Amino acid sequence: MKEQDKMPDDRRGFVMALGGAIATAFAAIGSMLLPGSAAASLTDDEDEHDSEEAVVEVQYGMVIDVRRCIGCHACTVACKSEFDVPPGVNRSWVEYTEKGQYPNVGRSFLPRLCNHCSEPLCVDVCPTNATYRRDQDGIIAVDHGVCIACKYCMHACPYDARFLDPVNEWVDKCDFCIHRVSKGLAPSCVNTCVGGARIFGNLADPDSAVSKLIARHRVSVLRSEMGTFPNVYYIDADFTDEVDRRRPELREVRVITHRRHKERT
Amino acid sequence: MHLGTPWGLEVILYLFLAGMGAGTITASASMLLRGGGGDGQYFSIARYGALVGPFPVVIGTVLLIFELGRPFRALNLYKVINLSPMSLGSWFLAFFIVISILYALLFLPWPNWHGERMSSWRRRIAWICVPSGLSVAIYTGVLLGAMPARPFWNSPIIAMLFMISAISTGMALIIFTRALFYKVHLDVPTEERSWHGSGYVLAATDVLLIGFELLVLFLLLMFAHLTVGSVKYAVEIILPGGELAVLFWGGVVLLGLVIPGVIEMFFVAPKLLYGGHYTAPRSIDIVVPLAVMVGGYLLRYVIVMAGQLTGPVGL
Repeated sequence: MKEQDKMPDDRRGFVMALGGAIATAFAAIGSMLLPGSAAASLTDDEDEHDSEEAVVEVQYGMVIDVRRCIGCHACTVACKSEFDVPPGVNRSWVEYTEKGQYPNVGRSFLPRLCNHCSEPLCVDVCPTNATYRRDQDGIIAVDHGVCIACKYCMHACPYDARFLDPVNEWVDKCDFCIHRVSKGLAPSCVNTCVGGARIFGNLADPDSAVSKLIARHRVSVLRSEMGTFPNVYYIDADFTDEVDRRRPELREVRVITHRRHKERT
Repeated sequence: MHLGTPWGLEVILYLFLAGMGAGTITASASMLLRGGGGDGQYFSIARYGALVGPFPVVIGTVLLIFELGRPFRALNLYKVINLSPMSLGSWFLAFFIVISILYALLFLPWPNWHGERMSSWRRRIAWICVPSGLSVAIYTGVLLGAMPARPFWNSPIIAMLFMISAISTGMALIIFTRALFYKVHLDVPTEERSWHGSGYVLAATDVLLIGFELLVLFLLLMFAHLTVGSVKYAVEIILPGGELAVLFWGGVVLLGLVIPGVIEMFFVAPKLLYGGHYTAPRSIDIVVPLAVMVGGYLLRYVIVMAGQLTGPVGL
């Protein structure tokens, strides 16, 4: 009987202690997650955030004028040699879409690369912060030393832009040639494009070539319904996909990815 | 163990093993607390769960670490904490491994292990085991569900499904272990009553969990089928005619849920409905949990593969 009388108190004391421990843990985690120093008050943080959003000085982006693309894969090859990308994987590539039935047929090209999204899903899921958005220019980069190759980001990316480097066993993707653009050079794919289909520049500057093109043309981005706000824009892209095969006016659609991934996922 | 997808068999096995281990510990701790923490029929159930539970979690975690290619990189997970489900999950998992091993150690036959001091510690650790086990069981589903780019997974109900499956397979592991190792003298009336009494608690709980799991699977399929767009196309892979349909309907639904559910219901029903007597032969306590565990593994396999083989439609 004595034991039973004692027990509830014991338990209550323990639950209270546990509650205290949990509260402390939450406070600790909260201070880790909030940007800036833990000592700064919430309102200070909000002010900082507002001012950061107001002044975006550099947001690199690309416009791909599909009308000027001839599907020559010069960009694919330039990218391969720039980074010595292993066989079977690509940072940048060109897809072909063939559609229709003879004699009413068409073929279009779709150069692809990382979209350097303003709302990057890959960054959201990275457990080690190896993938991050650079504040100074909006480029989504991968810190290879921190990446653990969990491949979570490869699933999160709606554009299949990421791959597991089979040699180094880390996840890699297009980084807009950080080493070139930080020295004022154009990315390698832009530099080599024979038709001038790839145009690179600062989207935050209204006078840049990319901003002017976007302002003057009907542009589109890939899978805008994902809410990722890509920074790679397309002019006159054909978004026909294999699912459109069931449309009576097309009947035949073939997507050639030119990658080891034969299917566009 | 490469299946041509980013996540292969190691990851699938991890999701199954970690879920089952977390479910086992959660079920064990709940049983212990349900019985007041002292000796008795609940204590023996809790003990089987506690002693066997940490093994699948640790084995699964080792598989997962070696899947990374260079295992020591896994330590990078513990240099930061962010809101990625994998980051939170790895912290949950590390905490859970420590707490579940501690919990198991308290059930070893130390001198004076039936004393009040030991059982009070068991109760305290059990209170921590329940939430931390649930968090490990549920985070794997949140992890898969977090991505719009994987329409098959991108549903809040996947986490619910994984959690129920985790507890159900954990329960099955307890029944299985108990059937293998319990030395019972059925000619002694008190022992017979306690054996069948605890058997009833386990079987009845398992039937309930299987029923819930079927319900959640039904909701998942129904909503996926009734929508239009990517999710509708993605779910076709497990609907009749799809690539994974046979494995899903034959392995997950029939072998893993319906057959074990019907068999257990057959034994549970007399006591459940009109206060009859519960008796189940030991062979049933071995075969049925095995089917539940195989079904739990196949569920992880089908869900993980279906999510990776399908993507958003259109571009």
